[in-house]
Formats: sequence, C-alpha cells, structure tokens
Amino acid sequence: MVASPLEYFSLFFNMTAKNKIIHALFAAIDELNEIRPSDQALEKSSETVLFGAGGQLDSIGLVTFLVSAERNIAEMVGHPVTIADERAMSQRNSPFRTIDSLAEYIVSLLAEETR
Amino acid sequence: MSVEFLLERFKEAGSRPAMVWKDQTFSYDHLLERITFWKKRFLELDIRPGTVTVLEGDFTPETTALLLALIDRQCIIVPLTSASLHEKEEYMETSRGQLLLVVDPEDRVTFEDLGPKGNHELYQELRKRGHAGLVLFSSGTTGKSKAVLHDMVRLLRKYQVRRHDFTTLAFLLFDHIAGLDTLFYCLSNKSCLVTVPDRSPDTVCRAVEKYRVEVLPVSATFLNLLIFSEAYSRYDLSSIKYIAYGSEVMLQSTLERCAELFPGVTILQKYGTSEVGTLRSKSRSSDSLWVKLGGEGFDTRVVDGVLQIKAHSAMMGYLNAPSPFTEDGWFITGDRVEQDGEYFRIFGRDCDVINVGGEKVFPTEIEDFIQSLDNVAEVVVYGEQSNITGNIVCADISLVKNEDPRECVLRIKKACYQRLQPWKVPVKINIVDGIALNERFKKVRRRPAHGEKNGKGNAAA
Repeated sequence: MVASPLEYFSLFFNMTAKNKIIHALFAAIDELNEIRPSDQALEKSSETVLFGAGGQLDSIGLVTFLVSAERNIAEMVGHPVTIADERAMSQRNSPFRTIDSLAEYIVSLLAEETR
Repeated sequence: MSVEFLLERFKEAGSRPAMVWKDQTFSYDHLLERITFWKKRFLELDIRPGTVTVLEGDFTPETTALLLALIDRQCIIVPLTSASLHEKEEYMETSRGQLLLVVDPEDRVTFEDLGPKGNHELYQELRKRGHAGLVLFSSGTTGKSKAVLHDMVRLLRKYQVRRHDFTTLAFLLFDHIAGLDTLFYCLSNKSCLVTVPDRSPDTVCRAVEKYRVEVLPVSATFLNLLIFSEAYSRYDLSSIKYIAYGSEVMLQSTLERCAELFPGVTILQKYGTSEVGTLRSKSRSSDSLWVKLGGEGFDTRVVDGVLQIKAHSAMMGYLNAPSPFTEDGWFITGDRVEQDGEYFRIFGRDCDVINVGGEKVFPTEIEDFIQSLDNVAEVVVYGEQSNITGNIVCADISLVKNEDPRECVLRIKKACYQRLQPWKVPVKINIVDGIALNERFKKVRRRPAHGEKNGKGNAAA
C-alpha cells in the first residue's frame, strides 16, 4: 500500500519526535547512572531492557527513571506529562520493557494529546 | 474551687512578676486584682456556671485573668488564638459556644452573646459535677478538627504539686495543650512567663537575653530555624537552663547540633496530646531521642508498635467524634515508637508513614539524613501516589545558600543512595524557597494515600 504524503509527513514527524524522546530518555539514564552505584549503570541504547524479564531496573529504579524522564519530556514539550498512568499500566505489552518501547509509547501519548 | 490553690500562690507571690507582655511587667498582685474584677463582672452580667465561653486571645495579662475567672465560675472554656481564626466559625459551631470573649491586641475585652446553645451530653455531665471545662481542638490527621473536652478540675490537679520556679518563654500557643501546660506550670510555681510578639528566632533570642529566660519550650522546627539562622550567636543566651522540645518529631542531627551549641543546657523532650494532656518526661541525655514518659496518673504501653496512654487526666471525650479509647480505657496515640526498658523513641505519626511497595518508610529517618548534608536548611519528606510502587518518597528542601538546583538534587540523591536503602531515596526532590510552617511552628507535611494502589509493584526487588 502506498502511503499518502500526509502519512509520510506524519511518519517523519513521529520519527523526529521519537528521536527527541529517546534523547530525553538517555538524559534520564545519565542522571540515574550518576546517582546509583556504578555497578548498576544502564547502557544508553534504544535496545536497553528496562523492566521485566532481563530488565536492569527494579520497581524503585523504574520509578526514579520515569520521574526524571517525565521532567525532561515536560521541559521539551512545555507542559507536565505523566508516563506511568493507569493506561500505561494496563497495556498488553508493557511500554516499560525497553527504551525503544517506552519512546514509542510516549510518542503515542503526546500525539493523542494534540488530537 | 479548682483555682483556689493558684490564687493562694498568687497571694504568696505578691509583687513578683507574673508576666512580661509588650515589654511591660505585670505582677501576681495585678493578676489577682484583675481576676477579682472579672469574677465580680461575671456575677453582674449573670454569666452562669456551665456557660460555654469562647475565649479568643493570646498570652496576655487580661486573657490569663479571664481564663482563671472563668474556671472559678465553672464555665466551659474554648480558647482560640489568631492562629485558628480561619477555623473560628467552625470551632464556635462545634463547641456550641454561648458567649464570645475577645481580647484584642491592646488587651481590651469585648463580649458577644452567641445565643442559647451549649447543649451536649458531655457538657451536661460536667455541669452535674460542678466543674469547669476546657475544649481544645486537635488538628487531627485528615478532615475536620476534633473537639476535645476536658474536666478542668482533673486537668489542674497535677499543678498542685510545687515544682521549680523558672522564668519561661511563652512560645507554644494559648489554645494548645502544651501552651496551657506552660502557663499553668508557671503560674503554679510563681514564675514569670515572658511573651513574645512573634516567634521568629531573633525575637525569641532577644526576649531570652532581655528577661534572662531560663526555660525555652519550643517546637523541633524552631530549634532548626534557630540553628541555621544563627540567631543564637547574636544574643546572650547564657540564662537558658532548659530547652524543652515537643509537638513534632525531633531530628537526631538537629538535636546533636543543639546539644553542641548549648553545652550547659539540659535539653528535654516533652510529650503530650490534646486528649490526655502533657506527661512528665525525662530524656536519657541532652542529645538522646530516647525519653522516659509517664509520671503520676499516666500509664503507657506499646501495642503493634504504637504508643497507648492511660491517664487520670484524660479528656471526657470528643464533642464531634466517637470515643477513641479502647474498651479498657487506653488512648491510642497514633505515634510509632520503639521501646527500650522505660525509654521510648518516637518515630512519628502512623499516618505519616509512607508505604513504598509494601516497605514502610518513616519520613523522619530520611529527613534526619538529608538535614545532615551540606547546604540543607530545612527538609520535609512526604509520600506521593505512584501507579508502580503505591507511593513514592518525595522531599522539599530549602537551601542555606544558592546552588544550581539540578546539581544540588543530584548531589543529594547520590548521597542518599550511598546511605539509605533504595526505596527510601526520594524519587522527587524539589528545591523550595522555604518549608511551609503552620502557625504553631510545625512543618506542614503532605500525607501519603494509604490502602490504595499498594502492592502493584514489588519494592526494590
């Protein structure tokens, strides 16, 4: 199926947005790495597994990471953002699995807000 | 009459100073004269025993004289101060007040008839006994304040024992059990009560210096303010013999600093509640948070980590809430404690505990650690709801001097990670201009939500 120009634009917009979000998430990783013991350092990669099987964060680590991430993204978009809301908790595939899945989820969250 | 013994002592004290108010000294003779005046006036105005009288004022000669004359007249007294003006209507309604006496800032008195209320079964009981009463409002944990009714005769009984005479500062408020304890303790020992126009560290220290105050009963928060304002270094505080702190949990770091700054001073922890009154207490040492509680008429026990008290002078009951006593007459304080023989250590209100994914976190433990860090002026720790761990730990921190907020937050979090268990590390830290204090110089702590959203995450697996 051939995508319409509008769909191309939206795809491009989302990719840019996603990159920006990944950047904000990396900044949250930097912060987490700075405050936590060095043997618990998290790698800055979109493949990094955050929470769940093979995840590198426990629930407290995840909450701490998400609070930094929320603040970074809020600064980026200019209004408060809640990532760990009821909807995120009820997704079939947890958005907190990897950096990539989290970024995808935040893009959809922001897109929904603008609709 | 329940105040006879006080009036006898006033006679003995004669021209000795009873109170310093607005830099003027008033003698015990003056107080006696004013009490006699008001007793006569109450008869003229046909104010009958058992009248529910709202007495609005602060520690002034006239308010004190009115209070004692009202006790003598067997009235039921509802003290109010400017700190509770927002709640005035609510308090007058709840206490079914019949008469309002307002003592203005110039110590002038006005009367207002509030109508034929004053009905409550507990009041009836008190009237049958022919005793004066006292209604205090307990701030409670949530929602409406609870109206605590005391039998004044029972409450005053413990002041009949003569104790030491010390010039004392009136720091705690007139409508609070601890403030009234300061007043009755002073009056029953023919001591001088020094009042202050405000409760800032400089004002308090100036009064201590000028009137050679010996006992300083204050809140833990005030001691912290005193330390970081460095007001202690600007005045001669050598007259102080005792510092008594209470009404909220003291941080170990603040206490140690205080003991260091006032080496010859005995620093004591006081403990009391509106419901049972003030217990006699003895701290293990000036820098110890362990305290012996009790005294004649008080028994203590710990059930499920929470302190319970049985007191002869306990309130008759709440006017607007069910009885909080156990069937065998113990009052559940809601304060989490640890016990070591006769000594207790108080950790804070049960309702302030933050439940992080099933782990109990005491705000004071974290506050204590953060308070000890560089450049921290004040800190308050509280819980906020989280979908992942039920609650998260948050901290508002004010700084001594300017620092880049982001770097400061990282520095503090890093230090916390090194010393505290991970679930105790504040997830959110806000750098604020100042920590909110209420009119009673206590920190305002936001309370976490309990029983909701717990157990969704597994804490610090």
